[in-house]
Amino acid sequence: MSSKSYDEIFSDFEEISSHYKRSDQYFDILYDSISSTTIAKTPSAENFSINAKKSGIVARTFLGTWKEVAIDENYKVSEIKQRIPKLINKGDAITEFESWEMNKEIKPKIDSLNVPIDEKIKNVREIFNYVKNVDERIINVQIRYLESLIERIFVNNEGCKLRQVIPRSRLYIIPIAREGSVVDYDYLIKSGEMGFEIFDFIDNDALDKAVQNSLDMLNAKLPPSGRNTIILDPKMAGLIAHESFGHGLEADQILRGRSYLERHLGKQVASEISTIYDTPSLDKKLGSYFFDDEGIRAGHNVLVENGILKNFIYDRRTASELKAIPQGNGRRESFAHPVNVRMTNTYFGSGDYDLKEMISEVKEGVMLVHGYFGMEDPLGGGMQCTSKKAYLIENGEKTKTLKATALSGDVLTLLKNIDAISKDALKLDGGTCGKGTEDYVPVTSGGSYLRAKNALVSPG
Amino acid sequence: MSNERLEVIENVLKSKKIEDYEIYLVDKAIFETIFLKDKLEKEREVSYFEYFIRTLSQKGDQTGIGVVKGNSLDPRQIEKSVEISQLLSKNNASSKYQFPISAKIQDIKTADDRILKDPLTIKKNLAEELIVEAIQQKHATPTFGRFRIHSYNNFLRNSNDLNLEAKKTFFFIEFALKAQSEGKLSEFWEVGYFKEKEHLKFKERVSEWARKANDTLKAEIPKPSSSAIVVFPPSVLRLALTPVLGTHSLGKAYFEKISRFNIGDKVASDNISLYDDGLLEGGLNSNSWDSEGNAHQTTEVIKNGVFQNRLFDQKYAMLEGVQSTGNARRAESGTIENGFSNFTISPGEISFKEMISNIKEGYYIEQFSWLNPDAISGNFGAEIRNGYYIKNGELQNPIKLGNVSGNVLEMVKNCVCISKEREFTEDTLFPYMAFRTLNVSS
Repeated sequence: MSSKSYDEIFSDFEEISSHYKRSDQYFDILYDSISSTTIAKTPSAENFSINAKKSGIVARTFLGTWKEVAIDENYKVSEIKQRIPKLINKGDAITEFESWEMNKEIKPKIDSLNVPIDEKIKNVREIFNYVKNVDERIINVQIRYLESLIERIFVNNEGCKLRQVIPRSRLYIIPIAREGSVVDYDYLIKSGEMGFEIFDFIDNDALDKAVQNSLDMLNAKLPPSGRNTIILDPKMAGLIAHESFGHGLEADQILRGRSYLERHLGKQVASEISTIYDTPSLDKKLGSYFFDDEGIRAGHNVLVENGILKNFIYDRRTASELKAIPQGNGRRESFAHPVNVRMTNTYFGSGDYDLKEMISEVKEGVMLVHGYFGMEDPLGGGMQCTSKKAYLIENGEKTKTLKATALSGDVLTLLKNIDAISKDALKLDGGTCGKGTEDYVPVTSGGSYLRAKNALVSPG
Repeated sequence: MSNERLEVIENVLKSKKIEDYEIYLVDKAIFETIFLKDKLEKEREVSYFEYFIRTLSQKGDQTGIGVVKGNSLDPRQIEKSVEISQLLSKNNASSKYQFPISAKIQDIKTADDRILKDPLTIKKNLAEELIVEAIQQKHATPTFGRFRIHSYNNFLRNSNDLNLEAKKTFFFIEFALKAQSEGKLSEFWEVGYFKEKEHLKFKERVSEWARKANDTLKAEIPKPSSSAIVVFPPSVLRLALTPVLGTHSLGKAYFEKISRFNIGDKVASDNISLYDDGLLEGGLNSNSWDSEGNAHQTTEVIKNGVFQNRLFDQKYAMLEGVQSTGNARRAESGTIENGFSNFTISPGEISFKEMISNIKEGYYIEQFSWLNPDAISGNFGAEIRNGYYIKNGELQNPIKLGNVSGNVLEMVKNCVCISKEREFTEDTLFPYMAFRTLNVSS
């Protein structure tokens, strides 16, 4: 398969798709190929790895239930016909969506394919050497550079004929600091739909700041336990939008009877100043694309507008069942993984507050920064989001640096208690998101700074 | 081991006169049933293979290592992959490294012949058994579930005449049961891998899920405490202990100055003895050999609270001038990482029931939202999803929400009790353990 041109793959796929009449059954087929380069450096190891090209295809039909077959590129495509059953008169089991064609390749500013490997290695080594020499308390530096080029070709028996090629790059920098018996760190991550230009975003000032962030952790104190006024940086705000709130909007959880948000559609779920979006069509973000893995065009989904819950997040099946318009949220990790309803770029809209003003109005509180991880609770609406770092706010000023801080409690209570959102430009940070504990896809989340009253914090 | 695809790849390596090489090839077959509530939603069959080629460039006291991953058997593509691997190895500067040589390896069985023979029928029967058990629960209903069988065949061949094959089978379950009463909702949501069919125990397991879902309906927010005893079951201990003790026990962590453990240090309570066991019968990571082809073994890591041995892969063993302990793991990218295999903790002398009966006031935490301790600092804080108060020696009312926080490296120095019962959770065989000095907030 990898030796075939995309025109030949289209031709093969159209021939197979025509074998299954849409009036009888729904059928689609996806080609998935990934090429990637990983360069990781630590004090005692350099690991270089190239995925020359790993590809496979997955085909499926809907017969009231899904039947799906995934195979690697060395199998004959004709095998699909033998393994996917052909039926008669079942075609109305799932709604027909837009039939369209597209063939688009994202061209990064600097195509990683045109950059020699030794130049990439040189950049990673330079960052490593710079960071480790900034301060003698930096005892360890961990750098990881990952670039990937993903090609997906989709054909179905509704007439979709789609191809997209998307470059993505990520760079992780972790300076680990030690003083006495205390060892701790903070981190710097840059990622996006981009190529080798990712290194342009990492200058010495950014590295100095990353080192200082880690050094600050050496003297960080334990955060208080209990209810406080909190301010969340864009990364923590994104964690709330995505993990604590967004997962409950995934419409497969509605079909499962497993979402606390099902009964809240059209109702107030957040303070009136809050707006939350999920937008796969955003430009140049890690969670962006033109079409999802079910051939649905990437859209713009207003989830919450002025505090009112407006929409859920759909794939082809859930949109069909719930008679909704899908915005392109049916995603696979790869051909070997199933489609699930997934978020993409999920974020709070900006407000009208000045950050300094937000802080100055807090007598006692905690500012949580550098969101670290979070977990969903789609049925219970509980929240667990942890920041790598926090600051104590006393009498309107940031004072002590605090260690990792967990935010927990009821997510809707937190959203309704948001009383200020900063007017800063949206900042979206990239990462990967699992459905439960697997099926990882690239996403971003963020917003601007949020302030909420009476939130439960504790050491994280 | 004879494998045509290995031959094709090795022939390319030989034709390009590569002296130091390794080929790792894995065939994967996955069969999955996904449920929507109590109905079948999706059936999936996945079969593919992938390979990793590692080549070395020896440069005096250093070695360059190149790694390429792919799944094309087109000889031109393989040739290109080998050239890339060589280019990477020439640019790479790692400490001195050699591929392992053929050594005596204890052969252990890691695949179920019944699954190898007919995976589809086994999957169908077990998936039906699972959903029938779920439907039969009187006070809880399924919301969704996934049941999967994995069947892998791994091949490892290197230029030092190492030639190994291992078959492996295991299961995956993700399942959620919901309980409701008087407008209140709660669930128990289980996710995990299971090595053996005998570990599945659907009848007991599903009724336990239903019991937990129902109990959570009545859950209260816990009272805060910084001095009560907290008891964890084996599944929670796996999440708490393995990232932290697993990191600090590694040769790599020692060489990178992030390990807090020195040989002979007291790092845990007297009652804790921890082993790394790559040969553990029923362990998810059990295999005769590690990802480089060195023999798996059992290594005493902590004995009566004292740190005894580090865990080495080939690279860090060579740096230390010792033998590998069989602790190489292959990353998704194909590179080799130093890591633990399966961890076991020696059992205590009293039963779980006796352990609870000895506690005047405390908490038993069955599940957190996500317990994700920092591997280096050991700090953690996580929201309680399912738990109980312990009062006067008995499990009392269920608790939910609130946070438990602490530091794993300090926690293991304050273990007050260990049960004699042990349970498998993926790559661990752990008992129930009770700790003091954790903080519960709400």
